[in-house]
Amino acid sequence: MSIGSNTVMRGAWQDRLAGGLIWALLGVTLVFLLLPLVVAVVMSLDSRPFLGQLPPPSLSLQWYAKVFTSDYIGPSFATSLVVALVAVALNATAGTAAAVAITSGRLPGSRLLAQLFLSPLVVPAVVIGFGLLLVLARLGITSGIGRLMLGHIVITLPYAIRACMASLVGQDRRLTEAAAILGANEWQAFRSVTLPLIRTGIITGAIFTLAISLDDVAVSMFLVDRQNITLPVALVTHMRAAFDLTIAAIAVMAMVFTAFVVLILDVTLGIDRVIGQGLYRSEKENS
Amino acid sequence: MGALWLILPGLTLICAGFAAPLALLARQSLDVFVPGRIGAVEGMGLTGENYRQLLTPAFLGLVWQTLWLGIATATVATAIAMPMAWAIVRRLSPRLRSLMLGLTFALVFLSVLVKIYAISMTFGAVGPFRPVLLALGINPNGRGYIEFVVAAGLVHAALPVAVLSLVGAVQNLDPRLLDAAGCLGAPRWRVHLDITLPMVRPALVSAWLIALTYAISAFVIPLVLGRGRVNFVSNMIYTRFSEIANYPSGAAISVVMLALSLITILLVARAAR
Amino acid sequence: MSEDLTRRSLLASAGVAGLLTAMPLGRAFAQSGPVPLVAVEWGGEIVDAMKQIAARQADATFDWVLHQGGAAAILPQIKAAWPEVAYDYVAGWEGSFNSMIAEDWLETIDPADVPNLADLPQNILLRDAAGNIKAVPRAVGGMYFGYRSDISPVSVASVDDLFSPDLRGQICWPGPTQSMMLQIVALALHAGGSEKDMDPGWKLMADLAKSGNIGRVAGTDVDFTNSLTSGETSVGFFAEPGWAAVAAHFPVSRLTKSAAMKTFMYQSGFGVMKNRPNKAAVLKFIDFAISPEMSALYADVAGEAPLNIRTKAPEKLAHLAYGPGEFEQFVYVPDYGVVLAEQDNWARRWEEEIAPLL
Repeated sequence: MSIGSNTVMRGAWQDRLAGGLIWALLGVTLVFLLLPLVVAVVMSLDSRPFLGQLPPPSLSLQWYAKVFTSDYIGPSFATSLVVALVAVALNATAGTAAAVAITSGRLPGSRLLAQLFLSPLVVPAVVIGFGLLLVLARLGITSGIGRLMLGHIVITLPYAIRACMASLVGQDRRLTEAAAILGANEWQAFRSVTLPLIRTGIITGAIFTLAISLDDVAVSMFLVDRQNITLPVALVTHMRAAFDLTIAAIAVMAMVFTAFVVLILDVTLGIDRVIGQGLYRSEKENS
Repeated sequence: MGALWLILPGLTLICAGFAAPLALLARQSLDVFVPGRIGAVEGMGLTGENYRQLLTPAFLGLVWQTLWLGIATATVATAIAMPMAWAIVRRLSPRLRSLMLGLTFALVFLSVLVKIYAISMTFGAVGPFRPVLLALGINPNGRGYIEFVVAAGLVHAALPVAVLSLVGAVQNLDPRLLDAAGCLGAPRWRVHLDITLPMVRPALVSAWLIALTYAISAFVIPLVLGRGRVNFVSNMIYTRFSEIANYPSGAAISVVMLALSLITILLVARAAR
Repeated sequence: MSEDLTRRSLLASAGVAGLLTAMPLGRAFAQSGPVPLVAVEWGGEIVDAMKQIAARQADATFDWVLHQGGAAAILPQIKAAWPEVAYDYVAGWEGSFNSMIAEDWLETIDPADVPNLADLPQNILLRDAAGNIKAVPRAVGGMYFGYRSDISPVSVASVDDLFSPDLRGQICWPGPTQSMMLQIVALALHAGGSEKDMDPGWKLMADLAKSGNIGRVAGTDVDFTNSLTSGETSVGFFAEPGWAAVAAHFPVSRLTKSAAMKTFMYQSGFGVMKNRPNKAAVLKFIDFAISPEMSALYADVAGEAPLNIRTKAPEKLAHLAYGPGEFEQFVYVPDYGVVLAEQDNWARRWEEEIAPLL
């Protein structure tokens, strides 16, 4: 340490300045990220039946009451949940399998295949939704729930596959080969070597799938039918048809629920572990 | 052979749900549209008219606006996400780190719709910033400010995703490398510029691309925050499909948009290699 | 249309209200099982009105589907599923009905099935080329200029006032899919043109877009009401239900009696879809809905003036009541054939010439 201490001193003020600037930037960012949530809470308590200037002159729980009394929220939430869970299940199986196949290096044209799987990301969701509606109509498939499931898989699969591929690319293929040399069959090698490595990828993919599926409007609005309307489409429909702040109440409930889930994850598993410790632990623990 | 079987289910899904619809749209983009009718009129042959009609300054302006705001959004989001991910992984106590990760998760999960409506209230013409804006001489109903609000909405949505995707990359950095460089006398900011950034470059490029593709295909955000004045190509496609029922033209715009995004991404991927 | 409106004399009467509070009939009277129907309606007060009407009969139960944005937004959904149809009736107006007639989606209405049709002004009924009645109108509304008199910096009295520098960002303008772009016809009228001679209107529109006075382009009714109630903007051109929603909470000056800024009238009504099993039940319900009592209920709740000549308009629609001679002076009835045929061209012109200036 004594050799470098002079030069360390020389860089210290620059570090402090850069560090200060960066912390300030992060502080502003945090406010930027959180302020709208605070506003959402305020909006959800607005007593007025129209959109007015903030803050509201008086508070009420009317929008929360509406969440429980309106006839569309329950069924549409159920539809959203079913569609999202089907997407998660299929992405975790078919998506993970595809990611493993692409990164295995044993498939010709794997670069091209990877591009194909990721390409729904660059197509505006509106296009996918409308195209699907036309294709499925030609095939005579008019079931809303079927259309929604396919649509949601298409828009979430790229996220699931990319998350898996990201965790696999970092993997050392020699590990799998070593396992094979040691006599493990492909499945055993997958279970004991690949799966632990891509666990983070699968979980991240599932989280993205859930988040995107439960929130999609642009694709779903073309695919819903009367019996199967997803929650976001129902909310947008109502918000476009009449003034309605039920969405703010739902948002606050969703925030509380999410905070609760994250808390449980943290207490039981540790949030670090859920998203993976990575190869190196944080400096604080290292030192 | 095993790999082929593994990829088959995913491939089937993507072909049925993605390739087939795009193929049908590409075909529709060559159909004839008769004003007043809904969709294409059958049996009138093929035409390039739907593409020719796009060669207007207005459409090119719309494409430019979408790309420009998308690139600005992606750059700002990535630039903020990198130090954030770093701070979360390396600088915070385990307790705070969990809190921040939880918060980031929660933000990814939180409905974009909700965020957007809250942002439209927060930064809207009647929000708490109105007096500040007026004091600064900024018209809260001016086009420049509306563009800013749209970009803010896009950053708000893209930032947590970018942070999460960078957290993994930062975790996999060997801190001993940086410590070593620090011991050799380099100031920290130089260490980050010379060592950290090159090491996480693939992750940065990927986070930037995620944000970019998200932004340029955004639909709800410009729909709500653009106040009908700042539109993206998606909004124009939606209008074609849904409101004036001109499917062939909507299909043609879709094809153009798709080509543009692919070119952008290929260029970026090439440049980053 | 003008003659009928004046003849019916939309003038106010409080007599209607008494009928509304009469007898909560409800479903208890149902003898056989009611027929389940699917109806597409506008949200807000309009669907509320229809729900109240439905609650006063027992022959049909309803599943309400709401229009998203303009009435034309549902058309691609119907097109995609055709010939299968999910809706028994679709609420619409001249704009959307004419597209549906062109696609041949609507049942022909036999006046014998809808006896109350005889009490409606016959010359406004929408017909196909062969002269068949294709839709049942239920109410008439106006589209007109107005402003929030408490916050608007300018007391708008003519189109020229829209260009006042004091109105920077203060105008909420309807988007190209709203009100068939009659707002631009209004500008054309001011500049000496008409729906058949739109160039002066487009020039004014471009000037207005360049002026920076348009703060928001409204894509839906709610965009409009939110923008005005929140105070984001204070001046606009919109249809009656939008103005009614703002006027419920804030003072509004409605320019319906202005020779300088004319009012446009539209009819809203029912289109009965082909390929559905319940035609008789749908027609029976529609007949009930346009009866004098239900027309009055609809007018009261939905805020659109009744068309049934035996129904009097509620007081709150007095601004749409025109005395002798007033109609000709304040209301402009465009050639809807021309307006409809031009929609695609106008939408394109909006995109190419106006949108980049906003």
